[in-house]
Amino acid sequence: MDAVWPIGLYFVLVVLLIGAMLVGSYVLGQRHDDRATGSPYEGGIVSEGSARVRFSARYYLIAMFFVVFDLEAVFIFSWAVAAKEVGWPGYWEIVIFIGVLVATLAYLWRLGALDWSGEPRRRREGKAMPQKL
Amino acid sequence: MSATGWFTLLPLFILGGASIAVMIAVAIRRSHALAVGLTLIGLALAFASLWVVAPETPRQVTALLIVDSYALFYMGLVIASTFAIVLLSHAYFERHEGNPEELYVLLLVAALGSAVLVASSNFISFFLGLEILSIALYALNAYLHTRRFPLEAGIKYLILAASSAAFLLFGMALIYAELGTMDFARIREMLTASPGASQVILLAGSALIITGFGFKLALVPFHLWTPDIYQGAPAPVAAFVATVSKGAMFALLLRYFYWSGSHHFGAVFLVFTVIAIASMVAGNILAMMQSNVKRVLAYSSIAHMGYVLVAFQAGGRLAVEAVTFYLVAYFITTIGAFGVVTMLSNSEREADEIADYRGLFWRRPVLASVFTAMLLSLAGIPVTAGFVAKFYVIDAGASSAIWLLVFVLIVSSVFGLYYYLRIVVAMYSGLHEEAAAPSSSLLPALSAGGGFVLAVLTILLVWVGVYPATLLQIIHSTVGRAL
Amino acid sequence: MILIWLIAIPLIAGVLAWFTGKWSKQAPRWISLIAASIDFVLGLVLWSRFGSEMRLAGNPRWVEQVNWSWVPQLGIRFHLALDGLSLLLLMLTFLLGIISVLASWREIQDKVGFFHLNLMWILAGISGVFLAVDLFLFYFAWELMLIPMFFLIAVWGHENRVYAAVKFFLFTQLSGLLMLISILALYVIHHHLTGVYTFEYESLLGTRLAPHTALLIMLGFFVAFAVKLPMFPLHPWLPDAHTEAPTAGSIILAGLLLKTGAYGLLRFVLPLFPHAAHRFAPVALVLAVIGILYGAVMAYGQTDLKRLVAYTSVSHLGFVLLGIFTFNSWALDGALMGMIAHGISTGALFMITGQLQERTHTREAGRLGGLWATMPRMGGAALFFAMGSMGLPGLGDFVGEFLVLIGTYEAHLLGLTIATSIGILFSTFYALRFVQAGFHGPNSNNWSVQDLVPREVVMLVPMVAILIWLGIYPQPIFNTFRSTRQKIEQYASLHVGPQQAAQSGRAATTIDTLPSPPWGRGWLAAGVFTSRREPGLRPPKVAYAPELQRRSGSCPQAGEGVAEIVQKESVKSAQSADLIPENTK
Repeated sequence: MDAVWPIGLYFVLVVLLIGAMLVGSYVLGQRHDDRATGSPYEGGIVSEGSARVRFSARYYLIAMFFVVFDLEAVFIFSWAVAAKEVGWPGYWEIVIFIGVLVATLAYLWRLGALDWSGEPRRRREGKAMPQKL
Repeated sequence: MSATGWFTLLPLFILGGASIAVMIAVAIRRSHALAVGLTLIGLALAFASLWVVAPETPRQVTALLIVDSYALFYMGLVIASTFAIVLLSHAYFERHEGNPEELYVLLLVAALGSAVLVASSNFISFFLGLEILSIALYALNAYLHTRRFPLEAGIKYLILAASSAAFLLFGMALIYAELGTMDFARIREMLTASPGASQVILLAGSALIITGFGFKLALVPFHLWTPDIYQGAPAPVAAFVATVSKGAMFALLLRYFYWSGSHHFGAVFLVFTVIAIASMVAGNILAMMQSNVKRVLAYSSIAHMGYVLVAFQAGGRLAVEAVTFYLVAYFITTIGAFGVVTMLSNSEREADEIADYRGLFWRRPVLASVFTAMLLSLAGIPVTAGFVAKFYVIDAGASSAIWLLVFVLIVSSVFGLYYYLRIVVAMYSGLHEEAAAPSSSLLPALSAGGGFVLAVLTILLVWVGVYPATLLQIIHSTVGRAL
Repeated sequence: MILIWLIAIPLIAGVLAWFTGKWSKQAPRWISLIAASIDFVLGLVLWSRFGSEMRLAGNPRWVEQVNWSWVPQLGIRFHLALDGLSLLLLMLTFLLGIISVLASWREIQDKVGFFHLNLMWILAGISGVFLAVDLFLFYFAWELMLIPMFFLIAVWGHENRVYAAVKFFLFTQLSGLLMLISILALYVIHHHLTGVYTFEYESLLGTRLAPHTALLIMLGFFVAFAVKLPMFPLHPWLPDAHTEAPTAGSIILAGLLLKTGAYGLLRFVLPLFPHAAHRFAPVALVLAVIGILYGAVMAYGQTDLKRLVAYTSVSHLGFVLLGIFTFNSWALDGALMGMIAHGISTGALFMITGQLQERTHTREAGRLGGLWATMPRMGGAALFFAMGSMGLPGLGDFVGEFLVLIGTYEAHLLGLTIATSIGILFSTFYALRFVQAGFHGPNSNNWSVQDLVPREVVMLVPMVAILIWLGIYPQPIFNTFRSTRQKIEQYASLHVGPQQAAQSGRAATTIDTLPSPPWGRGWLAAGVFTSRREPGLRPPKVAYAPELQRRSGSCPQAGEGVAEIVQKESVKSAQSADLIPENTK
């Protein structure tokens, strides 16, 4: 218990400080509710359009591919470093891992996730090929 | 690492292999029937492999997984339930537009995660299994991504499961920091061997781990996500969340707390007592206020997890068997109840308002009888599995003389009875206004697969309810022996 | 095996009725009628075969049994057994089963098949309750009979049916679960003492319990049975359920379901927890008397005829409770007779109310009246059963109430006896009000309805005959009950201590050694007035067990009289020697 009490004290102080800030601003701050209070620019400029910009779905796709394949590279690299030590079981594990990756890649390819131009994809849709992505 | 060690993981390999096979099959030819067929074959093979593996048990495979009869029993439960849910999903998604095939890949992955959970003997495999299960569930919940409620369910589940995983990790880290091991059995040894370990940190770690468990099992006060997820997710997926994911988690809860000996901490025992009472009371009382059948089932599942905790609190071999028995009965009943909801749902909406069930008995007597049986089982009325299960739980509680919990169980389950009866009464009402057409035309034809599942579940329900000796014997010789 | 059939026949008939109900409305009725009749005949066969055995003391406890392994891991057995008490109540069950099938012949026109499924399954469940001697099986049957009853009320009931059905279900379920805790507590304690897991009634009989524990466990059982009975503060479900149920439901509720409560008290509460029961007896007795008075007053205040009859049940079953907790032979016999006679007379009253409602579509006293002119036969029947209900000498209810009164008086509960007598006086008011409201007075609404049709006459005549038979020659009932009653008395430490016999200076005599006139104890009950003046014939005082222990300072020895003979004989048979509770050895 002796070792922990500074942490406890710190914790209590943090809570107190934040509490004081919240309560203080609530008590001291002024409040008003006029016509323009809720609008983004109280200066009188009327905002136009939505702030929510839509990114292309492809943006997310690229991001996900990056994450997935990069992380997989990390796994394979870490195996390579320890390849001698982990021996054959490690070898088979990484084979299975890469096999699963390849299967996934094939699946994504087939779904048209790698068709950047959009041309072939539309063609396939014309052939009534159901799409997931 | 010997060859047999790997060999005992055969069920896991088959589940993993099946999910990849289904994925490739989807890529080659998009066909609902093909995907379902492959999934079912994979599950059947995995189920059969349990017997192939059984003679080799118990065996520790690497430091992470243990394949003993306990793990095998729960794997069997997980696989069989997934099998039933796949058949229900087939019936459900046949009526929906869109691509249902990937659903089965996700279900297989989720089953794999659950199977890893029930076999894990170490924090690492625990977390690994949990994440495999959870990530599959995020996508499953939001599978009908063009609709509002499923999407909401998916995002809520994502946020809450991720935060609960964070709690869990923090708890594990605290315990590891104090004891220097992640192995459940080693934790026990270290606890006795090093009395100087800081109780504060150990208890804080245990509390955080309990929080993680509480989120997954939807125990009060970590239950807030449950009704929304159940309501939003497609009915078969809700059945999966309610049964497989919770059951696997509970199996792990038992193993962790009994093996690590954390259950003997007075504070842990007290926390579980409070959680159990809160879950039973809050679950049942909140369920009384619902008018949506899926929300009723959600709250009732909270209460049921509270009941299972009563048995868990009893401790000892009887408790392990009672928990397992209760979970089996709960699986049968809950999948059956969601199965009926699935069967009645059409492509536009799900049959989840109590009003949809008015006079159902006079229109669809068989389906209504099945639903009645399931609800009565949830209420713990004789001739159903739920009765024997509740009896067993109370028996375990009485043996350990935890009278407070037993008493709360009894009283709160009477509240439970009230809302089950409300649905039952709705199904049998409207005797004299037979001519009046039902409010909506929720009368899709019963599909063969779904009908088969419901028939089997009903037979099981009654069989376990009338002659529980067989199931007790199985549980006794597998689960009871292992822990 | 015959016991299995008693339960299986209604179960199978119910399923058959459901299936045939799709094609025909008549088939389910006939199937159910035949099934109930077969069971009734089987009951008669059993009675004629074992009737003579049951009247002898010191017999093996059960005359017939089925004992199969069920769930060996938990020590649960499928054990059905028959003795005099269960046989009598089974006969009542099947008789009222036949009556209720006939009573719903015209009333039920919707979903006839499903209705009869429920009806038959209730009968099966009730038979199970009366036969089960494994506590788990008993609880199983106890809960099982509720579901079909719930449907019966909720689907075919009157205006407020769902409310009544749910209330009924919740009351009985909560109390049933309390009993479950008690059963399990007993089971666990028995295991701690002996190392054996068993739910077997006979094995649990001798379980030694600390007084405090025994009282708590006993209360669990008692509450379950008292709700069913219903005892005074636990009765609110009853008026609603009885009023809203269809006629067959009311008959079965009043005639049978209430009896399961009394049966449970006799079978389980007294023998399993004799000391706790004795300690608790004052409370039970006072509540019983309150119930008698309360039921009677409430019945008198009702304007709904069915509700009126419902409240009379509270009053009548108060007599039964009083009899059970008076702990002497008179009162026990009286309680049993009260149960059977109430089943028949109240069943008949519900039937008559049902027939009235079928014809006039009302049960309101204000809208009825003056019906005697248009339906004299029904009026006569109503008058007859109302007389039975108020305890007219010569009818079954009188014998029961009178024996209970004597028993209470003998137990020196003078205040209670007087209060109870006032209750009997009240019963006259409500019985006459029932007849007066329905059949007398001016026919102001100009009712002109059909009198009893032959089917209804066929139903009522046997009930009239049985009620008269019970009133005039009840001895066969007591004979059948005797062996069971002696067992109950033996376990409930209901015997005469030698010190007490010596103190009183008279030969210790119980009712069974009294020179009994050939026409039976029914008349003897009346003859007690004379016997009381002859010291030699006076039945001994019966003391409560704690009192006995205080006096003797140790475990009381078995006294003289029949109770002792019973014990000697049972000690002889090695089997039952183990079963005698500690304090009698």
